[in-house]
Amino acid sequence: MAKNVLLVDDSSTMRKIISRSLRQAGLDFGEIYEAGDGQEALAMLEKESIDIVLSDINMPNMNGIEFLREKNNRPGIKDIPVFMISTETGDDIIGEAKSLGAIGALKKPFTPDKVNEVLGPLM
Amino acid sequence: MNGAISFSEINDKIIESTIEIFTGMVMMEISVAGEPLAKLGPLKNSITGMVGLAGVQKGVLAVHFPKQLALDVTGSFLGMDVEEINADVQDAIGEIANMLGGNLKTILSDRGKDIQLSLPSTIYGEEYAFSSQAEVDQVILPFQAPSGLFYVEIELER
Repeated sequence: MAKNVLLVDDSSTMRKIISRSLRQAGLDFGEIYEAGDGQEALAMLEKESIDIVLSDINMPNMNGIEFLREKNNRPGIKDIPVFMISTETGDDIIGEAKSLGAIGALKKPFTPDKVNEVLGPLM
Repeated sequence: MNGAISFSEINDKIIESTIEIFTGMVMMEISVAGEPLAKLGPLKNSITGMVGLAGVQKGVLAVHFPKQLALDVTGSFLGMDVEEINADVQDAIGEIANMLGGNLKTILSDRGKDIQLSLPSTIYGEEYAFSSQAEVDQVILPFQAPSGLFYVEIELER
């Protein structure tokens, strides 16, 4: 069954680009939901049926690392996989994200081909 | 500048990143427009996106676009017509600065520098100057896009 995706990024431009790249990559997915920061993402996860989260790291209010930490404390949503899409791809910050359960990371900028290669197996 | 990295090394990587962002995401062909500049005069009818670097290396990365080019870039980025500087334009230009700032952070962090990146912000107006109060080393990289020149500016505190 096609997976519902939650895009978490404070940039509306980037949410549109990721959404477009998913389509251009020809991936099979269901609904695309959007959130502008970690707090909005948590609320969306509690409310909607979401199968995978694609999240930025550097965001206002609640960043991607804080989002992962908080999600892990919520039994109903803690097992939903999160994939990081960020300009922040240093070993330290990605290592921290993975230690909190992130299943992978994609560096911005990216191309639809790269999106297909990295996210295709997860869809 | 602290550490063992030179501006020429930073310049090469930022040029590569800028071209990658434009060809791969903005969907616009650009090229380097000559040698790096040391200074830029007042910006006229332009928009600037910027991110700050904090930590062991303080500084700023900024991208300066004339208005029409900013509209063209945003239109190409988002696949829609854009006629005025609005929230979409500010967000798109800020995100270009953010991606380049992330690259600059990676270049400096690879040399063991613990650096934090600010959220992007934008300024625009009919005429303004972009300058730092601190003692900085700076470089300005000019690029040619189909509808005009734009600049990537890097300032690193000494």
